[in-house]
Amino acid sequence: MTRLLAGIVIGLVLADAVSAQQAPPPPPKAAPPPGWIDPRNPPKEDSAFTPARTPDGQPNFEGEWAQASDIITYSIEDPELERAEHTAISGQRPMVGRPIIDPIDGKIPYQPWAAKYAAFLHEQHRKPSSVKYLDPVSRGFQEGIPRINYQGTFVIQQFPGTVLMTYDYHHTYRVIPLDGRPHIGKDIKLWMGDSRGRWEGNTLVVDVANNNDQTWLQIVGGFHSDVFHVVERWTLTAPDHIVYLATIDDAKVYSRPWTLRVDFRRQKVEEQWESAIWEGNKTPEIVSGGGEK
Amino acid sequence: MVDRYAVRSLLTAVVMTLAVAASAQTTSPALPRTPDGKPDFSGIWQVMNTAAWDIQDHSAQSGVPAGIGVVVGNEIPYKPEALAKKRRNYDDRATADPETKCYLPGVPRVMYMPYPFQIFQKPGQMTMLFEYVHATRYIYTDGTQHPDGHIDWWMGDSRGRWEGDTLVVDVVDFNEDTWFDRAGNFHSDELHLVERFTALDRDHITYEVTVEDSKVFTRPWRMSMILYRHREPNLQLLEYDCFGFDNAFHPPVPQSQ
Repeated sequence: MTRLLAGIVIGLVLADAVSAQQAPPPPPKAAPPPGWIDPRNPPKEDSAFTPARTPDGQPNFEGEWAQASDIITYSIEDPELERAEHTAISGQRPMVGRPIIDPIDGKIPYQPWAAKYAAFLHEQHRKPSSVKYLDPVSRGFQEGIPRINYQGTFVIQQFPGTVLMTYDYHHTYRVIPLDGRPHIGKDIKLWMGDSRGRWEGNTLVVDVANNNDQTWLQIVGGFHSDVFHVVERWTLTAPDHIVYLATIDDAKVYSRPWTLRVDFRRQKVEEQWESAIWEGNKTPEIVSGGGEK
Repeated sequence: MVDRYAVRSLLTAVVMTLAVAASAQTTSPALPRTPDGKPDFSGIWQVMNTAAWDIQDHSAQSGVPAGIGVVVGNEIPYKPEALAKKRRNYDDRATADPETKCYLPGVPRVMYMPYPFQIFQKPGQMTMLFEYVHATRYIYTDGTQHPDGHIDWWMGDSRGRWEGDTLVVDVVDFNEDTWFDRAGNFHSDELHLVERFTALDRDHITYEVTVEDSKVFTRPWRMSMILYRHREPNLQLLEYDCFGFDNAFHPPVPQSQ
């Protein structure tokens, strides 16, 4: 599994470097996969739906979930160029998910200076001049919120006073206390942030603070500062469907708060086997020509 | 008219009942239990010993507290060639110890590293989350067997069952790349563990592990230690992602225009 995942990452980066020299062909027309949900034009929800309850009275979200919005971590912003480029380099069908629903153009609303740095990182992703400019996840670091939620499958377990999320990718976990305790002190920064949850009716609202400034929202950049703050809203809209809204603000980098939407579909519950990432990751050595990791 | 015999019988019965209740209480003092009646190990735990440095008896060194070992009888029955390797490992430990590379530390090492870990408990599964490199263990207690192996995993495959109030966990499917401690004690991919978690009281668990590896040891051997419950209010796991520490390699995030 380690080798497989590392191989995928290496393949992406190397293929990126090759494709920079040639114009990408137009994307093949592919039908959306069955069950796909367009985050920007979602189906009407059944407002009468009432979820089952856990023994302690929480709406029951337990089970295994995966995003059904066809979002790839390569890029969450551009539905044309990025998809065409990704198709050219990877041979995969174009992904059509556009998770950013506000602002309406689907782009991260950077402040002008930050847009320049984002463009620099975007240019760097094809052939990074240093491992510093390689996607942090490709380097083996944790994803951060909200990126981990569109990375792959995960399991939700609920306990009195706590919601637990364990992700298949990189054995990442989140412990979300529901007891109203305050965030940890502001001098503690975490890759996965500090989560505090509460129930608003059938919606789990999670406030994520204490984020470090080292995670990206996508492979092509998507940076933020250490005042990055996320409010997640997890709503069970049908027995097998979660609607997820993440409202993101960062007064140092973005011109306004922005929101992305991801739809999750229930999966068959399976054992979560080991996903060692750091241990087998050779991407940084290859990018840097065998030097720094 | 009071029947003296009846009164005496009643008193005797009451006294006996109280005695039985009292004796039951001394054998099992208010052990928290899950709805299915098993001992409830939910909480944040950590050892208070020096096994992370050396699982055997050792004197203090610079940065290393002296410690009484956790190996029962203190001797590890290495085969002669394995003992030679252990000594080489010790000499080279500053660079050869997989902990210096921030790799997943394996089992049982992850259980006695100097970082807290958290247990969540459901009838079919115990979830263990570790602060160290955000490692996880999923211990299936649903009657399933190990998958068809051999599988090279850093943290092995854990299948648990209850023997009375003791959780017994069988662990196989290891790679040969983890150590037991910072002193070079090691194993092969034939490592087979049987762990026993027994509640001593609500805040202490006796943790015993039998180690078997016929490539490296002449016979099985055992470690025994105590896990302590953290009782600080609002304590939570943080992160020790040591592979992300080297800020020199991090993207320089501009803080303003």
